[in-house]
Amino acid sequence: MWERRYTPPQRTPLAGGASRDMVRAMLSAEEWRILATSLGVAGRAVIFSLPIAIAFAYALSRPRFPGKSVVDAIAHLPLVLPPVLVGFLLLLAFGRRGPIGSWLESTFGVQLAFTAEGAALATAVMAFPLMVRAIRLSFEAADPGLFEAAAVLRAGPWDRFVSLALPLAWPGVLAGAVTAFAAGLGEFGAVITFASNVPGETQTLPLAIYSALQTPNGEALALRLAAISMTAAVAGLVAAELIQRWARRRLEA
Amino acid sequence: MSLDVRQAVVKRGAFSLAAEFETPGEGITVVFGPSGAGKSMLLSTLAGFYRLESGRISLNGRLLEDAAARERVSSFQRGVGLVFQDARLFPHLTVRGNLRYAERRRPAARAAPIVEEIAAQLDISEFLDRPVRNLSGGEKSRVALARAMLSAPEILLLDEPFAALDGKRRRAFLAMLRDISVKAKLPMMVVTHQIEDAAELADHVVALKEGRVVAHGSASAVMRRQEFVTLLDRRDIGARIDAGAIAGGRPGGGVWVKADNVILATEAPRGLSARNLWEGHIASIFREPDGSALVSLATQVGYISSRITPEALVDLHLEEGGKAWAVVKTHSV
Repeated sequence: MWERRYTPPQRTPLAGGASRDMVRAMLSAEEWRILATSLGVAGRAVIFSLPIAIAFAYALSRPRFPGKSVVDAIAHLPLVLPPVLVGFLLLLAFGRRGPIGSWLESTFGVQLAFTAEGAALATAVMAFPLMVRAIRLSFEAADPGLFEAAAVLRAGPWDRFVSLALPLAWPGVLAGAVTAFAAGLGEFGAVITFASNVPGETQTLPLAIYSALQTPNGEALALRLAAISMTAAVAGLVAAELIQRWARRRLEA
Repeated sequence: MSLDVRQAVVKRGAFSLAAEFETPGEGITVVFGPSGAGKSMLLSTLAGFYRLESGRISLNGRLLEDAAARERVSSFQRGVGLVFQDARLFPHLTVRGNLRYAERRRPAARAAPIVEEIAAQLDISEFLDRPVRNLSGGEKSRVALARAMLSAPEILLLDEPFAALDGKRRRAFLAMLRDISVKAKLPMMVVTHQIEDAAELADHVVALKEGRVVAHGSASAVMRRQEFVTLLDRRDIGARIDAGAIAGGRPGGGVWVKADNVILATEAPRGLSARNLWEGHIASIFREPDGSALVSLATQVGYISSRITPEALVDLHLEEGGKAWAVVKTHSV
């Protein structure tokens, strides 16, 4: 089903063409679909893992607590494990016969393996360490003296987190999310293992590049997809950097 | 009685602080001592940032911490306000945002001023809507004080909040503190290592040296005790007299008269420009290693010290019990 012939994008004449059509015409329908799948998968991955990443990052930014090194190791595990192994472990746990996967299907009718949601889960797990790292750094950058000041103004621990830690760290949170999003657009091993390579569902940019390279005469498509992928990644990095700079200016006392 | 600290011991690394004292339910208690005596650490302990190794702290009869009973009230539930030396305003909020932060979290039952009132009182109304990063050191101090007061604490601790100020602004800030402590009936505990500031502010004193409380009690009693005087630099040695006794002085608080600024006379001086002239008897003469002498004179405004040269000591035939006059220039106090 990956064997698709590459059809170059239909170019409309520049003169008289509406700008919206021009943008649309920059990519073929197929390329748009692949990009949309990628954006959808990476976007969902970030949205669902962000609260968990914030919790992990905040816990890890605290001075000491029992089991901190274990939490630290768990958060960083996807960084050192082969992505294929992460995908395989997800398959074992969240596959239709896996303990969590079968429970999800029988209780909520949700299936993760071989779906866009599954691709998002695999992407989220892989991007998790990146996100935790960026967010943790910005939690740690906040002056601990401010939290003492809040405490003597009668702010309790949860209050301090909401009223102080988050607002001070949110540029880092945003930057972490954008970086993770950009990285998530390119996640390959875990996605293809857990969610397979289903066009329109789980075929993200890197998977499509891979497919194109497996197809005779697919190099042209692969190159175009590579350019799209590169553009998206660089845009993400630049956005993250701009957010950081703007935030630093805003918070500098 | 406001704060009651019993055999409290705190350790941070190699330094340990042992404190035992109580403060009255009103007025300003100055925590005085040289750098490294543990003054800031004492405030941090009272605010609940450090855990007691042993001992007990209570505030207005309410237990804050008891090491033996393993009881401990968290900082945010102590009702202890703290103004930090470095203000510690929240950078993501405006001045008003910082003040509202405190106002929103205070218990409804505690009577307290509103933001606009405090802002007018501390002269910060003009920049309520500015971000805090644009404020000067003095402005930050006043906002930090306003914020702490809006939290309506039962006692307000201040860690040299006027350290960033100098000259006129410093005096104005000290006068404002005195004013507030009286008007708002808010007991305060103020850390300082400047003897002039201590004398001006203190109704009561807790004197610290190397992590130990060497003296505590009313300012007029503590500040003339030997344990207190030994905390001072040589050139700071002197005596506290009530501000009301000084020509042009306001009542309340005290004035530190340094021994170097006091002239002694064995006959009643006449035709002097100095407004402060007191008659008394020589209570003690203390010879210093360099030959000069510290002469302590008992007058109707209390003890006054004067440092005189070895030559003057010989020429004047001073002896204990003898009559003498002390002259102080007003601008030196």
